[in-house]
Amino acid sequence: MVYVLGKLLPENQFTRFALTHFYGVGHNTAHRICARFQIHDRCRVKDLTPTQLTSITAFLSSPSTAQPVQRVPLASPSFRPKPGPITPDTRSTSLTNAKGGSDPLRNLKIETDLRREIRENIAHQRMIGSYVGRRHAMGLPVRGQNTQNNAKTAKKLNRIDRW
Amino acid sequence: MHPSLVIRSGRSAWKGPYFVAFPNLREALQNNLPIKTQARSCTILPNFVGIRFMVHNGKDYVPVQVTQDMVGHKLGEFAITKKRFTYKCVASLLASF
Repeated sequence: MVYVLGKLLPENQFTRFALTHFYGVGHNTAHRICARFQIHDRCRVKDLTPTQLTSITAFLSSPSTAQPVQRVPLASPSFRPKPGPITPDTRSTSLTNAKGGSDPLRNLKIETDLRREIRENIAHQRMIGSYVGRRHAMGLPVRGQNTQNNAKTAKKLNRIDRW
Repeated sequence: MHPSLVIRSGRSAWKGPYFVAFPNLREALQNNLPIKTQARSCTILPNFVGIRFMVHNGKDYVPVQVTQDMVGHKLGEFAITKKRFTYKCVASLLASF
């Protein structure tokens, strides 16, 4: 039995799929989280070390304040290692992707935070009296879908206070 | 305005938000006159706050009072175009047969 942030993760599942049990973590995000903590693709939940578990828990509890990923630059082809003990590079550069954006996981929101954000967005639309808010209040599709038949998902989900 | 609204709108960032220049904006704010417009796709800019608009909904002009929270939305979002279906008694129609 492995609990992370009060969520039961199935022991026998691959970690990158088990992490999708969190609301707001899909396959892509789960894969990124695994890459962040050097968890290989076929690592099952039961194979996680306690250190990895605690680091995942710490990261998921507050992604915005988590430690930035250390970037290890590749050595140039002409690099010759100096004799003597190897000292790790202490220059911690924050992770930037190819387009120069910042760490995408920094703005990750899961579970209650994400639900609150969605609820606030709907409440905002309702408060200003826009068409989107009106359709949420009626429990109908918001983006111009047909309503003669079906519209089942909207009837199930669209309301002012979703959770 | 929320900066990400421009990004999420699907419109190129260098173009900025789409808006229509209203020449009578200043006097509308001073004299509290409504601006009658058919530009439903015009983004509400921060300097529209406090102005009354009469937005066309395809049939007539719907009054819209712009508040701070509406900035970044479109004018047309506040003037609904659809009429709710109401059942009308057809007794008079049936009687004509």
